[in-house]
Amino acid sequence: MRKGKNKSSKLFPISVDKLKTLMESKFENNPDLSFTIFEKSEARIAVFYISYLVEPEMVEQFMLKPLLDGKSKWTNQSILNEIPLRSGSKIEKLEEILDKILIGEVYIYVENEDAALSYLLDKKEKRDLTQAETESLVLGPKVAFTESMITNLNIVRWSIRSTDLVLEKIMIGERFPREARLVYVKSLADETDINTMRQRLKELEVDQIEDSSVLMQYIEDSSLTIFPQFYLTELPDRFVYAIDKGRIGLLVENSPTATIAPSSFFSFFESTEDLYMRWHAGTFLRSVRFIAIFLSIFLTPLYVAATTFHYEIIPIKELLTIGNSRAIVPFPPIIEVLILEFFIELLREAGARLPTKIGQTIGIVGGIVIGTAAVQAGITSNFLIILVAISALASFTIPNYLMSTAIRIIRFPMIILGGLLGLIGIMFGTCFLLIHLLKIKSLGRPYLTPIYPFRWEDLNKALFRLPIAYQSKRFYSYQPKDIKRYKKNKAKTKKDIDE
Amino acid sequence: MDINVKVKSNLRIQAFYLFFLISFIQIGVGIMGVPRFIFKESQQDAWISVILASCFIVMVISAMLFILKQYENADILGIQTDLFGKWLGKLLGTIYIIHFILAFLSVIITYIEVLKIFIAPNLNNFVVALLLLSLVVYSVRGGLQAIVGVFFLFFFLSIWLLGLLVEPIRFMHFNHFQPMFQASFTELWKGAKATSYTFMGFEILFFVYPFIQNKQKVRFPTYLAIIWSSMIVLILTVISIGYFSRDQLLKLEWTVLDMFKIQNLTFIERFDYIVIAEWMMVVVPNMILLMWAITYGIKRLYQVKQKTTLYILAIVILIASTFIDDYFLIRKIIDSVAEFGFWIVYVYPLLLLPMVLIKKRWKRKSGGRDLSH
Repeated sequence: MRKGKNKSSKLFPISVDKLKTLMESKFENNPDLSFTIFEKSEARIAVFYISYLVEPEMVEQFMLKPLLDGKSKWTNQSILNEIPLRSGSKIEKLEEILDKILIGEVYIYVENEDAALSYLLDKKEKRDLTQAETESLVLGPKVAFTESMITNLNIVRWSIRSTDLVLEKIMIGERFPREARLVYVKSLADETDINTMRQRLKELEVDQIEDSSVLMQYIEDSSLTIFPQFYLTELPDRFVYAIDKGRIGLLVENSPTATIAPSSFFSFFESTEDLYMRWHAGTFLRSVRFIAIFLSIFLTPLYVAATTFHYEIIPIKELLTIGNSRAIVPFPPIIEVLILEFFIELLREAGARLPTKIGQTIGIVGGIVIGTAAVQAGITSNFLIILVAISALASFTIPNYLMSTAIRIIRFPMIILGGLLGLIGIMFGTCFLLIHLLKIKSLGRPYLTPIYPFRWEDLNKALFRLPIAYQSKRFYSYQPKDIKRYKKNKAKTKKDIDE
Repeated sequence: MDINVKVKSNLRIQAFYLFFLISFIQIGVGIMGVPRFIFKESQQDAWISVILASCFIVMVISAMLFILKQYENADILGIQTDLFGKWLGKLLGTIYIIHFILAFLSVIITYIEVLKIFIAPNLNNFVVALLLLSLVVYSVRGGLQAIVGVFFLFFFLSIWLLGLLVEPIRFMHFNHFQPMFQASFTELWKGAKATSYTFMGFEILFFVYPFIQNKQKVRFPTYLAIIWSSMIVLILTVISIGYFSRDQLLKLEWTVLDMFKIQNLTFIERFDYIVIAEWMMVVVPNMILLMWAITYGIKRLYQVKQKTTLYILAIVILIASTFIDDYFLIRKIIDSVAEFGFWIVYVYPLLLLPMVLIKKRWKRKSGGRDLSH
């Protein structure tokens, strides 16, 4: 974009032949430029476009036909009047022509006029709406974002039909610019958040961005931490849920995932499903997830610590069981656990890379066959197999894929600390992790809110759920402009029994 | 040096976090062995000594709050400069800093000692000190905001330990308390003085005060913190008197930790291991806040960058705690901190109070500006 902006010498008027040589020189070795010259009673016009980017039928029927059949003399104004298409506009600069011809515009130039006419007749190849692949819901809308920005904006608009919803356009990328949309609700989102986000996007000087997940990494608060600071989702459902709480969304052209910011640590364990369930189930499921993080991080490290250093902690009956199953294992606990954890990671990675059908087979073969064989061969104890399987399973309960990967990785340093220093090491790791979490920011807001800074009012949304009457407010932590969502139902008066 | 401190609004903290700061820094490593020391002095009436000590602390903290209220936004370093002039003020400030450094050292070596006694006798001092100090350096780099967060979070993550005392409570014998009211006042007073090391730490209020946003609400959390920590020490003292026999109590070095040994669940046999590891969550916040006060104080007094002090001091303490390995030396350090601290923490504010009042009156009489400006 920047290149060539300075030499914006006047292009028009120009003869049609000259324009043809000019365009062909620009698209040298690109055989797809269609450049046709039409003549009618001394007047000449040129029609040019990139053939595979436009709808050929539209060009022929609505553009060429009225153009050639029309009785009046060819001028810019008469053509604008005659062609029954709404998107006509006058373009004067060569750079703009070169830029826009690539998104599917068709140009008409009447010889010796001082502007070319452009019509957007683009043909976009896009896939249909499908179910989400990486995130799944039992209840609620299941449609996923696609690679097409238009489709994505469409889906978001289905849910929030209001002029309050702002879809701000920002171009990102110096060499190959790509469109990004800042999505927020004007009457809710915090002004500072919007400004921070906008500033970060505008100050970004990158060649190009590959995907919204890459863009997220460019604009995150800290790139050193293992935790994702923005929420990445492919479910419009979750996206809209965040937007109408006053948070900011980011959509990127050609990326099926949307970014949500600011995101607190606990928002990564929220699923919109918790809302669709009744509050008892919602609270239960969310606590299952919190227990799952705990298990996933601590289960195997504690096993290593206990069996290496502090076997006194384990009651004698369990100790006998563990001892029995570990009797023929030749490795120290830390090596045994690392081998098995690595094996599980192998399975997961193989399952993710292979197509679904083979992936499932690999899971069964790997999990059952190799697992059983490993125990029989005396490489691991079957007690440990259970623990490793539980902790792997637990890490998959986290609704966000980035967070679940982060949690899985944290386990490895914990295991090593547990193996080297026992409980002291694990405690050190825990303290370090917590202090680390306290220091992270997401879009300038504390990551561990509502725990710290403490927000009593937000606890029932972040950590558990209460009946709908107690959920009438938005998160204080994100400081939306309007905190109230609905009025508490005060119609219920207190009644005595049998009244 | 300015008397009043200018603190940016985004660095300020809410007053209610003072509860966690003060109560948590009081309950540090001292509490692990305190019942024995009180019992030594005032026998079965040790619990009266605790109450006595807490009443005294309430008095001291009232004096401290009163002194701080006379100024707009000052800390102890500023107040001392205001009262005693530049040089004497700096000297007294330095004494405060030294007190904190010694307290820091005593905390880290005590905890390492406990770890060695209870968990791993052949633990390397250097490794543990390195771990602890890296946590301290890492969180002090986050500033007071992060430190307060650590206090708040770790408070809730360690408070459940009290629940493990159910079993010792069930085995209490109430005849251990009889006959009651036998100790003389001097014995009670000596018992109260034995708590001085445990209860120490609330002097941090003198440093944190300028950072508090809503100063009109300072009183409640402060007093609540004092009451809370007094209650915990009182409860632990009562339980250990009731649970241990007299001879045992006089012999056991870490009375409170030994009480956890009896607790067990179907899947965990020895809770004392977990308690002592978990105690890291009590020790680390203590060290962090002390370290912050040291670095911040040195910055105020000598304009040294906080990061410089932090790294240098961490290395010095790492070396010191690696080589301080001898039980009697550790005991001696703790005793000297207790003795030194007694004067600074408990007596000094009471002496400072009349001076502040006199200075205030004198200034008003001489028609000078108000003290706070």
